Amino acid sequence: MKTFVKFGETTHEVELTERLGELIVHLDGERCEVEYAEADKLGQIVLIHDGKSYAMSIEGGPHDIAITIAGHRYDCELEDERERAANLAARAANKGGGLLKAVMPGVVVEVLVQAGEAVTEGQPLLILEAMKMQNEIGAPGDGIVKALHASAGDAVGAGDKLVTLAAPEAE
Amino acid sequence: MFRRILIANRGEIALRVIRSAREMGIESIAVYSEADARALHTRMADVAVPLGGKLPSESYLDMDKILAAARETGAEAIHPGYGFLSENAEFARRVAEAGLAWIGPPANAITTMGDKIISRREMKKAGVPCVPGLVDPVDDVEAATREAEAIGYPIAIKAAAGGGGKGIRIVREPSEMASAFRTASGEAVASFGDGRVYLERYLDSPRHVEVQVMFDGHGNGVHFFERECSVQRRHQKLVEEAPSSILDEESRRAMGEVALQAGHAVNYCGAGTVEFLWSGGEFFFLEMNTRLQVEHPVTEMITGVDLVREQLRVADGQPLGYGQEDLSIRGHSIEVRINAEDPFNGFLPSTGVLHNLRAPGGPWVRLDTAMYRGLEVGLEYDPMLGKLIVWGADREEAIARMIRAIREMNVGGVHTSLPAALQVLMHERFISGDYDTHFLEGLTIESPKEYEGLAAVAAAIYRHHQARRKALAPSAAGRSGWQARTRGELTGHVGRAGVAAASEVQP
Repeated sequence: MKTFVKFGETTHEVELTERLGELIVHLDGERCEVEYAEADKLGQIVLIHDGKSYAMSIEGGPHDIAITIAGHRYDCELEDERERAANLAARAANKGGGLLKAVMPGVVVEVLVQAGEAVTEGQPLLILEAMKMQNEIGAPGDGIVKALHASAGDAVGAGDKLVTLAAPEAE
Repeated sequence: MFRRILIANRGEIALRVIRSAREMGIESIAVYSEADARALHTRMADVAVPLGGKLPSESYLDMDKILAAARETGAEAIHPGYGFLSENAEFARRVAEAGLAWIGPPANAITTMGDKIISRREMKKAGVPCVPGLVDPVDDVEAATREAEAIGYPIAIKAAAGGGGKGIRIVREPSEMASAFRTASGEAVASFGDGRVYLERYLDSPRHVEVQVMFDGHGNGVHFFERECSVQRRHQKLVEEAPSSILDEESRRAMGEVALQAGHAVNYCGAGTVEFLWSGGEFFFLEMNTRLQVEHPVTEMITGVDLVREQLRVADGQPLGYGQEDLSIRGHSIEVRINAEDPFNGFLPSTGVLHNLRAPGGPWVRLDTAMYRGLEVGLEYDPMLGKLIVWGADREEAIARMIRAIREMNVGGVHTSLPAALQVLMHERFISGDYDTHFLEGLTIESPKEYEGLAAVAAAIYRHHQARRKALAPSAAGRSGWQARTRGELTGHVGRAGVAAASEVQP
């Protein structure tokens, strides 16, 4: 089974094949000799590769995994072949506009736009206060405010819907 | 010396105070909120008093509850830590009125230094150099725009009652004034309940250098040299070091003397920090923090002085017993803050349960933290989870040691600022010592490509094993039902025991 591991803009392809109870690993099409052991059930991993030992910490899964190696952190999104096909189809069906979600929990201090208003990329849509800091939340792209899901004074959690933008009307 | 002190704080600073107190044979009384019933400071203190309440205003900021706890437990003094009530003059006054010793400066010094406008006026009077700007607050955008012309751009808008980077906005040209004024004033209201702001010149390429001072109640004062805190973002510090690589012996002495001058001007007593902006060989008074600071350990590491012990001695009325000539700098120290925030995503706060914790060790590595496995990191408190501190014979050795220590450490369950700190420590500008307060803001936090392939392999194998375990495990519904039942029984048992105990005590 192939797994696509995406770090920001780069995607690596990892193929795992089980043979006689052993995992054969291919990284981006090339054979990769690794020994993998879980040191505990908390995500402490030892990976031996090319004669070197790598102590890693892993958390998350199955679609979002974070790996810490030598103090560096790698956040990746994973999908296998079946999931990739399904996700591609879903993305194709949802073009233009977009939904703006709160990336952190906080309180909406002020909403700066109204439904139906045309906005440009980066234009502040609302002010969200979190950790006593006021943050202007800007439009991710040009569009028209289709719906406002929060108003001033509302407490929102991470991932809560804030604003729905519709794609700008073609001229 | 006191026999019992109450610590009106939580987290790593509460532990820090408990540790020194215990070494001095002093008992510590912890107070804790509802959320902190299992916190380390609650467990580590000799006595723990519940304050109840979920919000800070119902617990660590509730003066009545804290004073009542001190009375009930026979505490002789209160240590406020940093944050919360540490710079609250009214609380300092009420502690003294209750007949307790306040482990901090006199209320008047807190009032003067706590208001940026009054403090600047006093410092100018005492001959302490200040940044060009207004002494009085500005009322509205129009007045701000007018005054800004006279001071000269770029301008910093700051909250009169401010601190910790809250309510500060930088304005580079008049067109930005309206929006910056509105957000700065709004933030000031939200953070301090006081929307007054003032303007001053914003210095380009400045460095944040601060001096640790300590005064006793007999008119003696010393400084413990400087800390370099220029690695900051939105005025929140990330990496601190001592000594600063920009000061020579002469400027170090000059800055120390000005810091003592500032303290004497307000009849200071106890530990404090005088913050300066260093720009082009000049330094200007920024503010004085009338408390122990987060980054105090780097000073302890290079001077060998336990600052909390000194705070307790001075609050007990003892003289310092040493002078400036008895103090010297040995080696170099660096501190890194471990904040629950995502450095790859604009340092936004990160929440979760710490399911995994691996602490670094080895020579000259110190970890001050209240983290434990199972700790729920929420948004109700400051995102700082702890501090990693190292000492080295020189700066180069200290940097190498800190990189080594960060690589040993792992905090699982939340994002932390550690990868950003690691990138800073490995950056050529930091290594050269030539950096300013904009250094961190200009840095894109990213992980080196070198480990990406291995990370991908590990992630894929981990997912593979996870899926396998899930397939072999009993069905999810069955398992969670069993867990829920167990939890229910446990709670019921504890509840019954509690009722029984209460009825025995009160027949």
